[in-house]
Amino acid sequence: MDSDRRESPALIRLWRIYKTTKEMCADRGYEMIDEDLEISLAEFKSRFSKESDGEPDRSRMHFSAKPSTLMLAKYTDPPTPKNPDPQPQTGSLWIEFTPDENVGLKQLRDFMQHLVTGNYWSGILICPKPITGMALRLLRGSGGLDEGPPGGVEVFVEQDLLVNITKHELVPKHVLLSKEEKNQLLARYRLKETQLPRIQVTDPVARYLGLRRGQVVKIIRRSETAGRYASYRWAI
Amino acid sequence: MGPKSILKNSIPVSSSSPSAKPVNERHLEVALYHANLIKEQRDVEEQILKATLTLLDFPSAPGANPARPSIADALQFRTLIIPFQPSDYDSLIEERNIADLCGYALCPKPPKRAPLAGKLQFVDTKDGVQIVNKKELEVWCSEECARRALYVKVQLNEEPAWMRRGGIGDKIDILVENTEDHRIVLPLRPKHKESDANKDDGETNQDQEDEQEAWALREEAMAELAQERGDRNAKSTKKGLIKATIEERMTVKTPVAPSTEVQHGGAAHMAIEGHIPKADMPKKSVDGQDEDEEDNDWDD
Ligand SMILES: [Zn+2]
Repeated sequence: MDSDRRESPALIRLWRIYKTTKEMCADRGYEMIDEDLEISLAEFKSRFSKESDGEPDRSRMHFSAKPSTLMLAKYTDPPTPKNPDPQPQTGSLWIEFTPDENVGLKQLRDFMQHLVTGNYWSGILICPKPITGMALRLLRGSGGLDEGPPGGVEVFVEQDLLVNITKHELVPKHVLLSKEEKNQLLARYRLKETQLPRIQVTDPVARYLGLRRGQVVKIIRRSETAGRYASYRWAI
Repeated sequence: MGPKSILKNSIPVSSSSPSAKPVNERHLEVALYHANLIKEQRDVEEQILKATLTLLDFPSAPGANPARPSIADALQFRTLIIPFQPSDYDSLIEERNIADLCGYALCPKPPKRAPLAGKLQFVDTKDGVQIVNKKELEVWCSEECARRALYVKVQLNEEPAWMRRGGIGDKIDILVENTEDHRIVLPLRPKHKESDANKDDGETNQDQEDEQEAWALREEAMAELAQERGDRNAKSTKKGLIKATIEERMTVKTPVAPSTEVQHGGAAHMAIEGHIPKADMPKKSVDGQDEDEEDNDWDD
């Protein structure tokens, strides 16, 4: 009888958001378990819904992720005489779904504090509604601020993750280049990075991949006439 | 042309008329001007962010009384708030509310809770029941704090701090009851009176003498301070910093049947960008003078 009842729209919505978030982590190169990526609505419900009313309980949905060896390699600069043993510029990630409709400086600061004490490299906060202007200001400056984790903090509004934009057929595949791959590309075409077409780090796909300024993505398109062809974008 | 320092380059040219400058140099100057402006803007934004973070933890004591703030808190609040534009101030209030604090930075209490769960609330006013947005109700702990906070807001400079010319003399007043404490701030001398005893407004000769002495000491302290900071305009800033910053607060009565005057003041917290919506309020033709004053105070 209970299973016949239709699930709450809020639960279905959050199930989608959760799946997109997991896919996003996998696409960025974090280690993900397949069962998590394919979690069924029933499974999601049993793990994350409140017993009282069947509504989703966001405070239980948080998780952490570790970069795969492939990702670690991609985020490690090639060794130079000056820096013969470069360390990967990435690390463990903490993801939290806040139930708070109003996220301001206080919550963001608490989140940063949590990341620092937990020794996380970076964090993603997923909010029901956009955060305040001041919190955005803190976020923008957080790279330089001594408060946050080394890899910074990203904030998504739930709505942004309701569908996985990269799965849309019109969105070509974006692949991040490592520093070494980027250098090879520039050498091959005798280009400076500033000569490449650009992609804003605020672009939805760039946000999905967590692109940082200065990185280069390879964009692979399919064309009826040319088959597959690649172009490159420099993130600014 | 070998590489030259920009700074060295610009000195000899600046003495000649602008039209005589080569085009490149003028472009460079314009670019520099804009670059500086952007940098100043970024600095000010960061300054305001930091101030907001600080004021989010205000007041320093959990039991503080917003009507009688500690000297240190009051001084810091009034200093930190100077670069704020009214919109930044609104942000501060928003952030405090989200942190479950009264919007007035010197008040440690939580904001009032709306009695109903819905987004719209019914409020019983003198002019009948009004419908108010829940958010508006949950900003202050009390009418008093609303007034104190808005008293600060109307003094804020509309112009972004990085555009302000001759920003010296900027000062923000606050409404306090322990005026004496705050007036005798800078001269470092023991207070012979405790703040609790000065609700009476009678100023004796003794008091006046004390005050003058205090001001003299303060003058000295300010001069020293200015020198320490390398403040070249010390003379012009002197007056502006502390002296004029205190507004005598009339004794607060418990809200009884308000006169028309009080009613105006009471509605001030309903102002949206300085305009008070008067949807259901009966229009009363008070003497024109009063109306004008109101305009000057709240509309800018
Ligand atoms: Zn208050």
